[in-house]
Amino acid sequence: MNFNTAKNLIVRNAFLCAAGIVVASCGTATFTKTGSDATIESLRSFHLAFIDEFAVPRKRFNGAAFDARVNEGDTKFQQAIANEKFTARRPVLIDLKAQFDADAAHLRSKASHGKVTSALASEMKKDINKIYDHALGR
Amino acid sequence: MPSDDKTKHKKTRKSELDSALDQVGDESVAAATKEFQDLLAQAKGDTTELIRQNAEELEQRLLLLKEHKIDKEDFDYFVENQKRDLRVFIDSQPAQAQERAEKLTLQLLGMAATKIAPLLLAMI
Repeated sequence: MNFNTAKNLIVRNAFLCAAGIVVASCGTATFTKTGSDATIESLRSFHLAFIDEFAVPRKRFNGAAFDARVNEGDTKFQQAIANEKFTARRPVLIDLKAQFDADAAHLRSKASHGKVTSALASEMKKDINKIYDHALGR
Repeated sequence: MPSDDKTKHKKTRKSELDSALDQVGDESVAAATKEFQDLLAQAKGDTTELIRQNAEELEQRLLLLKEHKIDKEDFDYFVENQKRDLRVFIDSQPAQAQERAEKLTLQLLGMAATKIAPLLLAMI
């Protein structure tokens, strides 16, 4: 094998390696993004179910059940933030948690005084869907 | 056709809010109301979807307040949610467009919460 052939082989192999790394990293990024999107969708479902459970007009307020669900939410959001591989997504998840905390505080104040209306529930859900859509870049 | 119904519904809603606000007699309040109505109309006709969407949501919530379907506490809560969501959008706008975007969103929401909502509640 002459010098030029050997040089060409090295260049070709180096190129193939680089291309392989690029393809593999793209695949990993896509996979991670898909996982991150699924986490956000799961948080959205939990957040909406929370509203459905407690923003019910004339329903007797159960403080213990409410607190238990809020604690469950806190754990879910904190786990999602800690496990997020996309560092750029962490502030987004922190904002979603802040919205959950604010919704819980507002709902506690309304539900404990029997001041929940169906319009309040539906507007809260509208806002929730909007912020999750924005979080997902839609 | 559903889209026609939607358009009719929106038109009815708009005139409902406008006709309520048109009843304001006091001149000093009427000037602020007129300014709000103009700004709202401008925002609803804007080319940016987020500005339009925000204006439509605000109008709908003012009507819910007027109809006692939500109270002032709820209304203020939704206004704060809208403001928080919009700040990200405004910050992402080019410098020259930020002032206009802020006027058609945050300023509009501020006027609604401090001037228009109390006015609607006082009229009931």
